[in-house]
Amino acid sequence: MKPSLPGVSTDRRSVLRLIGLGTAATLGGGTLAACSKEAGSKGTATKADAIRSVLPTYKPAELLKPDIPGEGPIPDGYLAYPRQLVDAVTEQPGRGGPAIRTMSPWWGPTPPTLGKNSYLAAVNAKLGVDVDPSLQDGTTYADKLNAMLGARDVPDLLSIPNWEVDKIARFSDAAKALFEDLTDHLKGDAAATYPYLASLPTGAWEYSVWGGRLAAVPFPTDGPFGWALFHRKDLLDKAGLAAPTSPEELHELGRKLTDPAKGVWAFGTVFDMVQQFFGCQQIWRKKPGGGLEHKYENPAFAAALEFTAKLFADGLVHPDTVSSKGADEKQLFKSGKIVMYQDGLGAWQGMQSEQTKVLPSFNMQPLPVFGANGGKPLIWGSEKPIFFTFVKKGLGKDRVGELLRVLNWCAAPFGSREFELREYGVEGKHFTRSADGSPALTELGRREMGAQYTHIGGRVPVKVRSADTPNYVQEYLGYYNKNIGLMEKDLFAGIKLELPANWSKLLQPTEDKLRDILRGRRPLSDLEAVKKEFFATGGEEGRAFHEKALADNGR
Amino acid sequence: MTVTTEPAARRRPRSGRAPWEEPPSPLGAATKAVLLTLLVAAVLLPLWVVLVTSLASRETIDAAGGMVLVPREVDPSAYLTIFNGGQISRAVWISTLVTVVGTALSLTLTVLAAYGLSRPGSVGHRGLLFFFLLTFLIFPGLVPSYLVVAGLGLKDSIWSLILPSAISVFNLVVIRAFFLNIPGELLDSARVDGAGELRILWRIALPLSRAVVAVVGLFYAVGYWNAYFNSVLYIDDNDMFPIQRVLQSYILAGQSPSVSGAAVSLPGITAYPPTLAVKMAVVVVTVIPAVIVFPFVQRHFTKGVITGAVKG
Repeated sequence: MKPSLPGVSTDRRSVLRLIGLGTAATLGGGTLAACSKEAGSKGTATKADAIRSVLPTYKPAELLKPDIPGEGPIPDGYLAYPRQLVDAVTEQPGRGGPAIRTMSPWWGPTPPTLGKNSYLAAVNAKLGVDVDPSLQDGTTYADKLNAMLGARDVPDLLSIPNWEVDKIARFSDAAKALFEDLTDHLKGDAAATYPYLASLPTGAWEYSVWGGRLAAVPFPTDGPFGWALFHRKDLLDKAGLAAPTSPEELHELGRKLTDPAKGVWAFGTVFDMVQQFFGCQQIWRKKPGGGLEHKYENPAFAAALEFTAKLFADGLVHPDTVSSKGADEKQLFKSGKIVMYQDGLGAWQGMQSEQTKVLPSFNMQPLPVFGANGGKPLIWGSEKPIFFTFVKKGLGKDRVGELLRVLNWCAAPFGSREFELREYGVEGKHFTRSADGSPALTELGRREMGAQYTHIGGRVPVKVRSADTPNYVQEYLGYYNKNIGLMEKDLFAGIKLELPANWSKLLQPTEDKLRDILRGRRPLSDLEAVKKEFFATGGEEGRAFHEKALADNGR
Repeated sequence: MTVTTEPAARRRPRSGRAPWEEPPSPLGAATKAVLLTLLVAAVLLPLWVVLVTSLASRETIDAAGGMVLVPREVDPSAYLTIFNGGQISRAVWISTLVTVVGTALSLTLTVLAAYGLSRPGSVGHRGLLFFFLLTFLIFPGLVPSYLVVAGLGLKDSIWSLILPSAISVFNLVVIRAFFLNIPGELLDSARVDGAGELRILWRIALPLSRAVVAVVGLFYAVGYWNAYFNSVLYIDDNDMFPIQRVLQSYILAGQSPSVSGAAVSLPGITAYPPTLAVKMAVVVVTVIPAVIVFPFVQRHFTKGVITGAVKG
């Protein structure tokens, strides 16, 4: 669903400039490259040392001891909701300033706005200042952002997902021109003024630096893995089948599960997970002799491609997945029409909770990962924060202080009253308490809440047991803690990369060609030609860029 | 003999065939029937599936593995859900307002501009026409458009959904071509009778071009009803979303974005996506107005397209 509006591309703007009507295009002073990446963009990389010197001093703020501690980037798990909550913030953050306009992404129907929303009213009363959120559709966020950044029209607090940041050309320039430099407010021990911002993991803060300055508050990920291969354990158990431990067993299992007469196929989309089973890196890995190797050059990639193409050829993949990119695999999976598909781990709890109501035996689980040919699997992932919250430039020191206090409030940890109000609203209104003390949202709660405060404030992620998915926390953290050792090391962690345009625009077309091979529309032997074209038209440029970024950082 | 056959020849026989036409072969008739049935099915089936799914219970949807073809029950809960929150009814109201006001304004502006540009002697006629046509080749960029709308203080008002697309030059050219082909003698005779330009437009030109105006009106109305992208840019206030925007938020809800080959795990976001029935109910609400309005304009539609084709 690509929006189409006549005249929305950089190319046409260049035409405008050419014929001398460019004044309109550059109205308002600067010439922020607002639209998509410009063809000439060579990309930039900020040095890791420069980043480290502006970070806040990390000071954990744990109110409760976790039942299942998470290692590294994995969130802590709690198996019971605390009976006694603590006041985490004693001083009211608001000083009676004007309403704070925020904008954050949301994927779903939008809740009512300020003035018609009792949840907002309750939280704002606590804050002592009105937060007036605008929730914008996450799928078209980039279009909106481009226009806003180009026109220099930004709200007081702006949350931007990391993948949108990556798409915006010369984002460092934009950040410098439009957003407050937070370095002096949060660098080193200065962060102690905002204890809950200081408790956000340093790994997340590292990504919040642009042009050597701290420009945003990060929203750390609560699960660094990209994908899991989900399977319907209830269906496997019913059929008396065990989870596979090798690609061959996976193929065999697929054959046993597929039954077109009943409308059941074993697989939806699985290719990314298969690559991980075969030990293929997500994009780059270091070659033993120096330099970088792209995954297409890794024999494991060819093997994964061949294996997956065989799943397609043998008719083990659902026809909807074969025929379209946008098959509703979630629905097929819920209905048991496919037994396995890959999805982000974020999909787990919601689906499990929703489907248990219809089918009590419903049990979705990530398939235990295994290696191919006796090798070890590799899990793709990253500690990159999900969102960044930027503060509008030029609001004055006092106002920035007020905004940061609000963000600090929004980052209050689990076990505090602030956390409960932020995540569940008001008891008896937005949530009811289950027998075990854990809150369950009411219809009103679901309708009025859209992470209006959560998404802007960072928060230290936790996993808390809830009554509708009693085993989820153990299973989720169990999967993570077991496999975190297999997660690929991010070669570029802490290095801010703004990728060359030639590289960025090459990725999707290449993926499409590979998809054709998977589906049998092109022969497997075409892989060589696809690779060749990839490296000739920007792949090598990308490699040189990445190699230089590593060399500059002495890695 | 001749006395009896003549009226029969003039009157269409019951078979609907003229006397000189041979009856179709059974194969021909069958092929035609199959083809037409397929065509009709291609149009109606998707609508039917959407309607049935919107009225299906969660169990039926799960059993079908998605869209439901055969209704098993009528479960209005999806409709109750969407009208309960108030968001959908508000969005329908805003879209209706934008469509009605926008279409009226667009038609007025387009007809006036087209008539003016169709009179050879009008002021700056050539220059203005060139300027209009230039916009076919050169579009304003995203950022300049945004700056103009924001600068005029139109953000978060329905005017930001109407004014930027108030005149479609394509429609203007179509109507202008139509006006150009009205015989000059007709207009001259009105002039002789003492009519001014506005009266000529109102009394002579417009009545003669009813078909094309109806068609252009339909184009505008459908355009406004379906407009989506302007609201993404100019509407921050969630209460001002038109129906298409709300529809999109329902349809895509709960899909985790995937970034360079990895799904993003979004805490809390995918927790409570609307059910398929709810999504389809929103689709039905979005489609209904077009389905209701279309038959009334359809008569002019065929006529208008043909006249435009021959005379344009």
